[in-house]
Amino acid sequence: MMKLKSHIPLLIAIVGLFCLPLFIHNPYYIHLAETILIYTILLFGLDIVVGYIGQVSLGHAALFGIGSYTAGVLYFHFGWAIWGTIPASIIVTAIFGGILALPALKVIGPYLAMVTLAFGTIAQILINEMTWLTEGPLGIKIPKPDLMGVPMTKAEYFWLVSVVLIISLIVVDRFVKSQVGRAFEALRDSPIACDCMGVSVYRFKVIAFVISAGFAGLAGCLYAYSEQYISPNTYNNELAVLFLLGIIMGGRKSRLGAAIGAAIIVLLPKLLDDINLFRIVASIIAIVVVAGAVMALSKKLTTPRRVAIPIAGVVGLAAFSFWLNSISDWRLSIFGFMILLVVYYLQNGIVGFTKSFYQSMVGKAKTTRGEDAEVVDDSISFISTVANQNTGAELLKVESLLMQFGGLKALNNVDLSVKRGTIHGLIGPNGSGKSTMMNVLTGIYVPTAGSVLYAGESVVGKTSSDIALSGIARTFQNVQLFGEMTAIQNILVGLHHTFKSNIVEIALHLPRYKREEAEAHARALALLKFVGLDDLANEEARNLPYGKQRLLEIARALALDPELLLLDEPAAGLTSPDIKELLRIIRKIRDSGITFILIEHHMDVVMSVCDTVSVLDFGQKIAEGKPAEVQADEKVIHAYLGT
Amino acid sequence: MLSIKNLEAGYGKVKVLHGISIDVPKGQVITLIGSNGAGKTTTMRAITGMIKPTGGEVTLSGEKIDGYDSYKIARLGLAHSPEGRRVFTTMSVTDNLLLGAFPRFTGSRPKGDIKEDLEKSLEMFPRLKERRNQLAGTLSGGEQQMLAMARAVMLNPEIILLDEPSMGLAPILVEEVFKIISNLKSQGVTMLLVEQFAAAALNVADYGYVLENGKIATHGPAAKLKDDPAVKAAYLGGASSH
Amino acid sequence: MDMFAQILSSGIAVGMIYAVIAFGFQLTFSTSGTLNFGQGEALMLGALVGLTCVDTFGMNYWVMIPIVCIFGMIQGSFVELIGVRPAIKIKSEFGWIMSTIALGIIFKNVAENVWGRDALPFPSPLPMEPMTFLGANILPMEILVVFGALAMMLLVEFFNRKTIYGKAVVATANDRDAAGLMGINTSMVITFSYALSSLTAAFAGVLIAPLTLTGAMMGGALGLKAFAVAIIGGLSSGMGIIVGGLILGIVETATGFYISTGYKDVPGLILLLLVLAYKPSGLFGKSAIKKV
Repeated sequence: MMKLKSHIPLLIAIVGLFCLPLFIHNPYYIHLAETILIYTILLFGLDIVVGYIGQVSLGHAALFGIGSYTAGVLYFHFGWAIWGTIPASIIVTAIFGGILALPALKVIGPYLAMVTLAFGTIAQILINEMTWLTEGPLGIKIPKPDLMGVPMTKAEYFWLVSVVLIISLIVVDRFVKSQVGRAFEALRDSPIACDCMGVSVYRFKVIAFVISAGFAGLAGCLYAYSEQYISPNTYNNELAVLFLLGIIMGGRKSRLGAAIGAAIIVLLPKLLDDINLFRIVASIIAIVVVAGAVMALSKKLTTPRRVAIPIAGVVGLAAFSFWLNSISDWRLSIFGFMILLVVYYLQNGIVGFTKSFYQSMVGKAKTTRGEDAEVVDDSISFISTVANQNTGAELLKVESLLMQFGGLKALNNVDLSVKRGTIHGLIGPNGSGKSTMMNVLTGIYVPTAGSVLYAGESVVGKTSSDIALSGIARTFQNVQLFGEMTAIQNILVGLHHTFKSNIVEIALHLPRYKREEAEAHARALALLKFVGLDDLANEEARNLPYGKQRLLEIARALALDPELLLLDEPAAGLTSPDIKELLRIIRKIRDSGITFILIEHHMDVVMSVCDTVSVLDFGQKIAEGKPAEVQADEKVIHAYLGT
Repeated sequence: MLSIKNLEAGYGKVKVLHGISIDVPKGQVITLIGSNGAGKTTTMRAITGMIKPTGGEVTLSGEKIDGYDSYKIARLGLAHSPEGRRVFTTMSVTDNLLLGAFPRFTGSRPKGDIKEDLEKSLEMFPRLKERRNQLAGTLSGGEQQMLAMARAVMLNPEIILLDEPSMGLAPILVEEVFKIISNLKSQGVTMLLVEQFAAAALNVADYGYVLENGKIATHGPAAKLKDDPAVKAAYLGGASSH
Repeated sequence: MDMFAQILSSGIAVGMIYAVIAFGFQLTFSTSGTLNFGQGEALMLGALVGLTCVDTFGMNYWVMIPIVCIFGMIQGSFVELIGVRPAIKIKSEFGWIMSTIALGIIFKNVAENVWGRDALPFPSPLPMEPMTFLGANILPMEILVVFGALAMMLLVEFFNRKTIYGKAVVATANDRDAAGLMGINTSMVITFSYALSSLTAAFAGVLIAPLTLTGAMMGGALGLKAFAVAIIGGLSSGMGIIVGGLILGIVETATGFYISTGYKDVPGLILLLLVLAYKPSGLFGKSAIKKV
């Protein structure tokens, strides 16, 4: 019942959408609305790259164009109907999205942006030059599609686009809320942790680009029939930047944001063509912003200094509009200023800003679980008791390990043998090679020489995500949580390996997917309760206190069903009571049969919980044995104290 | 000369220092020792502006410098040989030394005779003299440590902060490094020395502070601290359990 | 053989221009980890300002050069102040990428409104008759381009190696924190590197303007290709940029000749994508070691 209530605004909007052509007969306005709908579909796709993997893509105008041209070419050369060109556009553009992803695999940030820019430029050139296929600069004319032998009317095509939009909305929403969406966000927040949780960064980057391109292709196809004429120069870099502006200004990770963004980028140029209308709108915006600022200042929510620039900006813009006679020449500068404004003052878009503004005026909504409070099912065994309970047998065998960086031997001929069911400590002064060892064991570094056998199989050369899936999980010295995701979502990423359902099952919410999601959810809650974080399940990981962040990392690692758990300085920065809690948790985990390697500086932790301790210094093992023996060993004392 | 009162600092959410107070009188060598994770390097960084303190006060020759950017603090005469050396790897030994004297070139510090000081530096560090035109990145760990210290000396500073000079060095090189520190001490240079190697540090210092979990556990004249069992406990646990 | 020599000589001239612009990317990237997506527009503004000096104010070409250089420095500082510094402060990579793109768009639009949308001819300071060398037609201006570009890069290298301020810049690029400990104001170094970066772009603009048409459009493709050169050569290697520039210039000219001028830009971009796919640190760059 709760769910139906929250959908009411959406249902009203959908009804309104369908009624539009009944009340508005002017084809110009219908076309405008149609364009907004089409751009919204594209922005759904762009949001996956910009909002969910967090990268700048300047290539979506080109993908849009590939969608349009697939439809155009198939119609022009082969006479295909829309029922064929829609799937074809989606598939062809998705393939190009995959091609785009390849050079983008190893890079992020400005490099990735440049890859997309290069891709976009190449695509536009190719469309322009391959006249035998695309008719080049002449363009292609496409009539409205046929419905039962008769070309569709404007209203009928509008309804078709509306239906496609609603389907896209549902599909995108289901994707981003599924394990696929969580994988995207994990990729954005911490690629290294993502790999180490068994979610392959490369794989999901490709998937993100492919899905994103699919939506762009769909939008492009619909656009071709809407405009009834396509030509290469539409799909230029200016359009690509406009799309970016749309999604950032509307709001990332939000379907409503995509719609608002689409509306802005379609209506804004029209607005700028009419100077009188622009003057009115600019003045209204200036008044609204100044009023809002005054309200915020009076409630002491902000300082004069911080509102100075936005106020100067909008007032200046309004003044500028009265001084000029025509503003359409300055269109691009306006876009540029809007981008600057959004990047610095509206980082969460209109949607995000409105939410936080509303919350700060009205009072922060409770972030606790409230009505939706889920009861933790205590009967779930969240730590799979390790099948092979061969306590004492050798689980990990490292022999003659050499890890060399240039001239530096970070690990020099190290042997290590870790027995099942034990907690094996690894200590040593700074720079002795402990973290390097962790990184070798989890596939982040490939050893220069030597062997690493885990349960009899070599680990060397495997990817981090394969190693994670084979049973080795870890935590990090500098906490690598997925900061923008909630505590429970972090654990759900760790549980990614339990999901077998595919894209279709997710889109249609088929039974297997729903079951997997429910089971994972229950298990995640149980894991949170185990580390004492169940009441913070919906809190963003980056907002948690430091001690709890470290515990969350351990819970996340447990979600992988590991046989071997590597903890990298778990007690660092923790207070005494937190450390007691940590020890209790470690012991409980050990009791279910999981083996540990523990890097620590806190001697008390090491002494009280480890069965065996190995000591590294300068990349070499200098001592090994029971904690008390090691503590009294001359070489160890010398390594640490220097006496 | 350098006075630290109730200093608090950390990284983001993690508070590492919970209010420490250290006094470095002019002409003395003060050492701050403690195990890893105790907060020694954090203390250095907070003093020299690499991170901003969240509480407390740092005063250099009477001027409050907490919250200043690093470059301002250097220009006031505080030289820092940082943890991990941080020499400029793509530049020559000579260039590294000249950069140590940067504020003297630009007039923020009294100029003196930079060229002469450069030669004097190389005399004090013979290993560097042999390699004066070599790229700093190709030097060994010990040589880089020498370079970092010589670079700090080039500032003609009021005080030198040395952060873990022995880290990652073989025992023979550690000896050499501490010989140089003694040498500087006999020239009357004021120093704050942060060290993992308690023994060597207490040998060369006048006074010592023991840092444990972000607080000063104990302090006293270096000679007395050498035999204090609390020092050993701070490093290797054992007697005191939390 | 004649054709080969012609392609080579034209390619070298074009390639050196790309190298000089790419040089600007390297300057800012090494000191701050950021770069100006509107670098092409910096070149375009330099060319147009130069044109105004020469046409409207009747200045001599050689006198105009230092003025354009000063303009470049001001423009670069402006970009850093408005677009980059706030983003570095909030540690947002997205921020400076989008804001330098935005500033580029604004500059281009302003240029369109001030100088019009047409491409304008730029009076050449050197005679326009080509000389022949080994069967190739070489314009004196092209030789000036090559020497000018090399001279600019050598000048900056000299500055970096021989002056203490230059050494401070290299130190900042090498280790920003340690540079601060030396008493170097690293924020100012970054502003300076942006000023210098736009200076080299503006200078490149007045070098290439007499060879092509000058207008608000000229920045776009140049910026992207210069980035390709910077990536291909490796963002940390000066020599790599010259080699990368030459490779791109020659391949581009050859494509334009053998296939068609429309496809001219494609091979360079494909090369960029290949390098990013297989060796992102560039042909001459060093790969970074991950630290966890």
